[in-house]
Amino acid sequence: MLSLNNVTKKYGKFTALQDIDLEFNSGVYALLAPNGAGKTTLIKMLTTLIFPTNGEILWNGDEIVKLDACYRNIIGYLPQDFGYYKNHSPRDFLLYLSAVKCIDRIPAKRKTDELLELVGLLDVKNKKMKKFSGGMIQRVGIAQAMLNDPKILILDEPTAGLDPKERVRFRNLISSLSKDRIVILSTHIVSDIETIANRVIMFKDHKLFANDDPAALCASLNGKIYETDIAIPNGCLALTERQENGKTITRFASETDCGDAAQSVSPNLEDVFLYVYRDEAV
Amino acid sequence: MDEQKKRASIDYILAQGLVTPQTTRSRITEMFRTLGPRYIFWDMGYSLLFAALTFALVMALFVVVPYDYRFSAAVAVAPLFFLLINVFAETSERACGLYELKQTCRYTIRQITALRVLCYSVAGAVLTAVVAIIKMETAYEFISMFTLCLAALFVCAALSMSVIRYVRKLWANAVFSAAWVFATAALTLSLGKPWETLLSNTPIIISVAVALIGIAFFVYQISKMLSEVDKYAVA
Repeated sequence: MLSLNNVTKKYGKFTALQDIDLEFNSGVYALLAPNGAGKTTLIKMLTTLIFPTNGEILWNGDEIVKLDACYRNIIGYLPQDFGYYKNHSPRDFLLYLSAVKCIDRIPAKRKTDELLELVGLLDVKNKKMKKFSGGMIQRVGIAQAMLNDPKILILDEPTAGLDPKERVRFRNLISSLSKDRIVILSTHIVSDIETIANRVIMFKDHKLFANDDPAALCASLNGKIYETDIAIPNGCLALTERQENGKTITRFASETDCGDAAQSVSPNLEDVFLYVYRDEAV
Repeated sequence: MDEQKKRASIDYILAQGLVTPQTTRSRITEMFRTLGPRYIFWDMGYSLLFAALTFALVMALFVVVPYDYRFSAAVAVAPLFFLLINVFAETSERACGLYELKQTCRYTIRQITALRVLCYSVAGAVLTAVVAIIKMETAYEFISMFTLCLAALFVCAALSMSVIRYVRKLWANAVFSAAWVFATAALTLSLGKPWETLLSNTPIIISVAVALIGIAFFVYQISKMLSEVDKYAVA
């Protein structure tokens, strides 16, 4: 189990995260928050790239920094800006990272081919990566994160810049990789996590705001979300708009019962996100 | 506490006690064996090329330095290859966008950098011999100049490693290298002949002692870079 106890991270006088208590067991955990809310800070602490100012991060009761290489052996990480060697093939690149991850050469070759097949890149395993699309590069990124068969897979904004088809493919891949391991996924794209996350973690004002399963988060807005094709009542929060039969349907949140003025609808995770972060520029 | 928990606790304590801490030497050997030269210097071709070309240019200038200032020039030039390759390698490493990812691997990029720096210091030591050969008149003068250059190289290497250890910024290396060039040029230009005389009359035993202190300090810095984790936040 991975746990954070009272973790605070400060950069000088700026507090990026404050008093965070979290526990991670097997499953997909989505960190959902707007840009600048502290998702990447948390991920960097979990990957030992930075250290908490206060508090502790424990893996099975031991501090991750003290575990040193033993902890790095069990994590797989895909950074937000995933760099790659343009003039090398994905196979060469994965073999190189296998060596850096201290995997013996023969198992590394076998694992590399297995992973390239899993991410659908076996056909191009010897092609230079400079010709790859963004989606293909992200798949190489996932493959490298899985090289050491990590118990903790940490993905920072893995779907940023991908087209919808690639995003769906990526979601399915993450879902298939989440058995018997902790997958921590940071994103501000709600559709990425709606179907695959077991728990959604939200930060607000640099503090933990919510840590619940998606259904429970949506249920927190039951009776508050409405749709209408006329002007929304005063004091309500407009969420989204869509065109239907030539009419503009507005989805909105209301703290009070709207009666016949609008139709009550089931809340979704996007509603929760827009409602929670209504005061922030998203 | 039941019997099973008690047994597990005893096994855990024994396991902890049986783990001998890894020495710097065994860590270096293990890393060399696992990574090999190919992966230690992975994608470093351009950095090595640029460093070699720049150093060749510096050497071309060094050859034409007046005879009266050969010791001052040799001391200034001796650590330059080491400094240049560090700057180029670190810049290339940070520019490729994999620095953070590599810091989360079993062998962190800081540890691999330490290993590379060790190799650069050996190459630097060989090049100091070349520097001394170019300007020597007698065998004694070669030894005098070579030991002086070695002292300059390892003092410089140790200082630059401590800068890298404590300052996480990319520019740290470049600023230190520029400071070295500036300091040695300033000493030569401002003090002139007395500086040259001081260097040329330095007893070999003093140069050897300074070189040995530099090597010890350098190895200490390398061993810290290989073993310490908690001071090396990279982001």
